[in-house]
Amino acid sequence: MTSARTWLERIRGLPLPDSVRVMNVCGGHERSITMAGLRGALPPQVELIPGPGCPVCVCPEEDIYAAIQLARRDDVTVAAFGDMLRVPCNAPKAEPRSLEQAKAAGGDVRPVSSPEEVLAIAKAHPDREVVFFAAGFETTTAPVAGLIANGLREGLPPNLSVLLSGRLTWPAVALLLDSDTPGFDALVAPGHVSTVMGPEEWEFVPKKHGIPAAVAGFNPESLLAALYSVLRQVIENRPFLDNCYQAVAQPGGNPTARAILNDVMDVTDANWRGIGVIPGSGFTLQEKLGDLDARVRFSIEPEEDRKRAGEMPPGCDCARVVLGKIYPNQCILYGKACTPRKPIGPCMVSDEGACRIWWASGVREQAGADLVRE
Amino acid sequence: MCLGVPMRIVEIDGFAARCEARGIERKASLFLLQHEDLKVGDLVMIHVGNAIQKMSEEDAQTAWDLYDEIFEAEAAQDA
Ligand code: SF4
Repeated sequence: MTSARTWLERIRGLPLPDSVRVMNVCGGHERSITMAGLRGALPPQVELIPGPGCPVCVCPEEDIYAAIQLARRDDVTVAAFGDMLRVPCNAPKAEPRSLEQAKAAGGDVRPVSSPEEVLAIAKAHPDREVVFFAAGFETTTAPVAGLIANGLREGLPPNLSVLLSGRLTWPAVALLLDSDTPGFDALVAPGHVSTVMGPEEWEFVPKKHGIPAAVAGFNPESLLAALYSVLRQVIENRPFLDNCYQAVAQPGGNPTARAILNDVMDVTDANWRGIGVIPGSGFTLQEKLGDLDARVRFSIEPEEDRKRAGEMPPGCDCARVVLGKIYPNQCILYGKACTPRKPIGPCMVSDEGACRIWWASGVREQAGADLVRE
Repeated sequence: MCLGVPMRIVEIDGFAARCEARGIERKASLFLLQHEDLKVGDLVMIHVGNAIQKMSEEDAQTAWDLYDEIFEAEAAQDA
């Protein structure tokens, strides 16, 4: 395999234009980029922008609020991926503002790391309602669909239900590209989303918008190969979809995962926290699944007020961070009022949030003037 | 969440498997890889407890190396 050093040398040898802004849409990519210090190693014309890559960050308030209300009931256990527990939402003063606070107040909230763990909890506690609050992108939603499809064969415990908050990644990129100010000139497409859904999902980026794109894996070599590809595409003005993670992200994606997603879920318009409704960007459970859907079982109607507000916590700039409009340390709260120990917004809570990733990689300063993008 | 970890299959029982990586064992579901013919010893990319793709030795090794670096760096920063 070509080494990271060689890729860097090749990139440095390119006749680059004055400015090329490359967006990534995956928390895993952003983590590798910051940890490997790629920003400092690249020519100054190349700007790497973290975009919508954090499903926890965009999980709408009305869903978090609904999960918290369920956790406050005596007869309900709420299981959620660990990241979700600390995500804050706006709530009346005396009420818990996160699942973690609901747990501290006596609610039964369980952090899990796989759908199968939730199944085990439901089986072990037949006397309690067990709700799986499942937020995530395609890579996480497919295993949730797998749990349901497998359960339909073997029989699911009657006390299990799913509060699904699944999102598709590409519609958020389409939203940016359809706007007047996409804010980037090339895209590094997500490796594991493509592994599940197929790299072809990203064809629209070069075809419809003339923006270079390359699917990348997670090590610096694969990321630099993708960067080299999109930079060359920019220089030669020849945009296409390249795949620099071929061994894993194969044409057509994972056929079983895609078939199962189709069997148990529908794609609908969905609300993204701080951003608004994006057409065709959400997964819902199919009607035939009845009250396996926690929204049906517990008659959860999203409160219109909360949906309208749909906002980040006061002062938090996560919405613009998620859309790649500003860097994390351009939020005035970054590293001051907001740190991983005392997070204010979801981007500082989730392992995939850009604020959390930048902090973990050692960025402690507010952005200097040269980094201001707006 | 999208990171995923390569692990080696050490036991298969229907769609349930035990997998191992760097001395750590985990249960994993093979349900999403029904289209693959999986054997003990194969490497798979595990994501939230589910195998989502078969992998080669080389790809698995580079992924492990990367995670070692990330976790070391983060442990140092969070300390
Ligand atoms: S630093 Fe904190 S408050 Fe600011 S955008 Fe990030 S998470 Fe939100």
